[in-house]
Amino acid sequence: MMHGLIQAFAALFSAAATVAACGAAGSLLIRWCGAKLSRMERAPLAFLSGAACLHLAIFAILAARIAYKPVWLILIAGTIAAALWRKAASDPSRPIERHWTAYLFGAIFAVYAIFYFVNAWVPEASADGAGYHLEIVARYLRAHGFERIPDNMYAGLGQGIELLFAPAFAFGRHSAAALVHFAFLIALGWAIFAFGARIGKPWCGAAAALLVFLSPVVGRDATSAYVDVGTAAIVFAVFYWLEIWDAQRDARLLLPAGLLAGYAYAAKYTAAIILVYALAFVAWRARRIRPLIVVTAAAALMAIPWVLKDWIYYQNPVMPFADEVFPNAYVHPIVEEQWVESLRHYELPSFRQLPWQVTVRGDYTEGILGPIFLLTPLALLAWRRPVGRRLLLAGFTLLAVYFGNIGTRFLIPCLPFFSLALALAIENRALLAILAAAHAVLSWPAMIPRYGNPYVWRVEKFPIAAALRLEPEDVYLRRNIGDYDRIVMINQNTPPGEPVLATGDLSSTSYVSHPVIDHFRSAEGNTDWDIINTGWAAVSQPTRQYVFRFPAQPVTRIRLLLTAGSSSIGKDQQWSVHELRFFDHGAELARDRGWRLRAWPNPFEVQLAFDNSPATRWRTWQAAAPGMYVEVDFGRPESIDEVRMEGADDDHWDGIGMAVARWDQGRWSTLADRFEEQRLAQIRWIRRAATFELRRRGIHYVIVGDRDFGANDYYADPAEWGLEVVARVPGATLLRIVP
Amino acid sequence: MAGRAGHAALPCYSSGKVRTPAALILVTSLIIAQGGCRSLPEFGLPEQSPTFENFKPHTSRMVDMSEPGAALNVVRDVLDGSGPWRWTLQRPAVRVKVGLRKDLNYLIDFTLPEVTFQQTGPVTIAFSIDDHVLDRVRYDTPGYKHFEKAIPPEWLETGKEVIAGAEIDKVWVSKDDGARLGFILTRIGLTDR
Repeated sequence: MMHGLIQAFAALFSAAATVAACGAAGSLLIRWCGAKLSRMERAPLAFLSGAACLHLAIFAILAARIAYKPVWLILIAGTIAAALWRKAASDPSRPIERHWTAYLFGAIFAVYAIFYFVNAWVPEASADGAGYHLEIVARYLRAHGFERIPDNMYAGLGQGIELLFAPAFAFGRHSAAALVHFAFLIALGWAIFAFGARIGKPWCGAAAALLVFLSPVVGRDATSAYVDVGTAAIVFAVFYWLEIWDAQRDARLLLPAGLLAGYAYAAKYTAAIILVYALAFVAWRARRIRPLIVVTAAAALMAIPWVLKDWIYYQNPVMPFADEVFPNAYVHPIVEEQWVESLRHYELPSFRQLPWQVTVRGDYTEGILGPIFLLTPLALLAWRRPVGRRLLLAGFTLLAVYFGNIGTRFLIPCLPFFSLALALAIENRALLAILAAAHAVLSWPAMIPRYGNPYVWRVEKFPIAAALRLEPEDVYLRRNIGDYDRIVMINQNTPPGEPVLATGDLSSTSYVSHPVIDHFRSAEGNTDWDIINTGWAAVSQPTRQYVFRFPAQPVTRIRLLLTAGSSSIGKDQQWSVHELRFFDHGAELARDRGWRLRAWPNPFEVQLAFDNSPATRWRTWQAAAPGMYVEVDFGRPESIDEVRMEGADDDHWDGIGMAVARWDQGRWSTLADRFEEQRLAQIRWIRRAATFELRRRGIHYVIVGDRDFGANDYYADPAEWGLEVVARVPGATLLRIVP
Repeated sequence: MAGRAGHAALPCYSSGKVRTPAALILVTSLIIAQGGCRSLPEFGLPEQSPTFENFKPHTSRMVDMSEPGAALNVVRDVLDGSGPWRWTLQRPAVRVKVGLRKDLNYLIDFTLPEVTFQQTGPVTIAFSIDDHVLDRVRYDTPGYKHFEKAIPPEWLETGKEVIAGAEIDKVWVSKDDGARLGFILTRIGLTDR
């Protein structure tokens, strides 16, 4: 029990220290800027501005690969000490009027704050929090710095908030990270309230803060190691600093606004849109170029390190997006395209349902804002006031990028603006109190199943025993993470550092102390999955042969190219080449080390068409289109009269057109554009060939869920695959590929 | 609205402490542009993969409960667990693969526990391959048992799977929760003659 309590308080203290360091860094910045802030607004703005600064320092530590515990201690303690030494004074806040609504607002806030705090303190078990957000943090910490993570495309996303999780995680593990994120919610609520006070309507600020704070999706997100609420707090802080600058007109105040706008990019790509608002606002108010340059430069200071990191590690500055523009070996464009497409729809039957789904039901879009947000259109009434117009413009600017991902939580960055605008539109103190009280009742977890999906993503319980670790962490995680037994099985039965290929989904990968490669998250995983599936799925095996014949002639460079695309088949149709072989009078041209291989698209995997393995294939990983090719430069003239391409049924379509061309006097000339199609016999030992290739790619362990594709085949005869069973838990088996 | 001291007349847009990193922006733009236009990589010939024509997998025809993968072969009525044995229900069965040879024995090692035997008394167990009953044996005493018998080759097909099973005529029924148990299974499958 004592060990559990130590774990609990380690999480709490390490999160508190990180938050304090953010506040301290922010205090120093505010002091340098000479901002005149009330006491009420100083704390949230210091935390949020400091988070941006501290994140940059953490970035530098990780880039220098010196992420060791003493370094974290020096960073945190040093920042706090510096702020204490150069403490700045605040303007006194106006006292809050003793009105019954103030007590009501305070009571509602206190109940929910305690409820949320306990939920943030429990061992982290959220899907993405315990999944990729903290998996990436854990991997950086294991490597003591940044490293290329080729098996997880999410590693290319900005990690502005995750970096703040890093020092907290180093000492307090997973729930320390969730507590840091919870601090962003407190700061956000506080900032909204303070903004209300700044414009002379504290009750509007209080009501708006509660509208955001109590929203079920906000509560669930903020109590997990996610980043959406943090992002919302950052973009609101940008807006807040711009308002302060507009009031005080000191150019130094544009620095925190710009830094935070850049930090918004680091936190979430789409949040960078706030920079557009910031620049437009500054341009409109200042009507000079220099302030725009200050904001842009400050934003660039925060954002460019992330652009460079992705460019250096992944050859794509906006990884994992734009992979066709920035071809790289880490994300296949077709996977990006399918993923992005799915985020736009979430299988929602009709977009007309979207407002109802994101506010009340939550059947498709994971989480609800709460039914009160059906009143959001009333916020337009705030347009009659200048500040209302600015709030609405900022809100709509952020809303513009929402439709790229219609998950409810992607609305969170808009909420502070629309909530404040709604409160300003209503304005009446008693009405706002009733609104907040109704929102509190409707958002209470037990109430939600009365109108929403009973399984909607939300905070559900008050797990105080788990938070204090009176219920052991293992027990809690086993109850709350479906794959926990699988994770323990991997950790206990796999040598350190060994990657594990998952033939299905594996959640909560941050608890796995090994790289997990799955079928979705990386080009490497896509291909590994394709290889193992080729072992059992006949449609993926090389059972077709296309033979091109032409008069024998010397050839130095030769191409097999696609001449008829798959536009009539569908955008998911790929073209692939299992093997490409060249013949002269019936004898295969011996493959030579001097050959140079090229392909377009996907040049990075062209070797798979020349490795002599029936289990591997080069695929376009883009919709098949005329002009795609595989090319060999022999380095010297070779006599050839026949080309044979081995392919599979699943990448064949009626009307497929291919040709063979040679490089001749500075241009490509066709040798043959007709082919004879032949059937090849199935290869008896292809299962073993598949695991051999996986082993050659560095994979020695495979975890198979009983319902995964191919599970029956692996289980029926592991020996035929060259697999041996290492361990088994209900529902899954860990297998080793024998040498 | 006032700026800092000394700059009160005009709004102050720069304190002089902020440098304009125009060069930084330019360099970054060039880097991004360059990233999208770089030449395609080319690769040398990879190591050639061997064929596995002579690969002869050692296919296990015996399901031993002490092995971690034992559960993969269970078809029915063998309870999950760990360690070298498992409780069965009434009709335990496993899936095993016939290799190239068809001269095989059916083999099973199991225990009739004292505690269940007290309730059931003597039991008869039918041992089967697929739908064929190989034998029925009556056991009058509890304890460890071994059964092994040749399988008619015509019941087996090279390279195919068969279901090796057993069926006990009387099961032990828990007076507390009605749970029904057969016997304790150690291993079951096919073995060379």
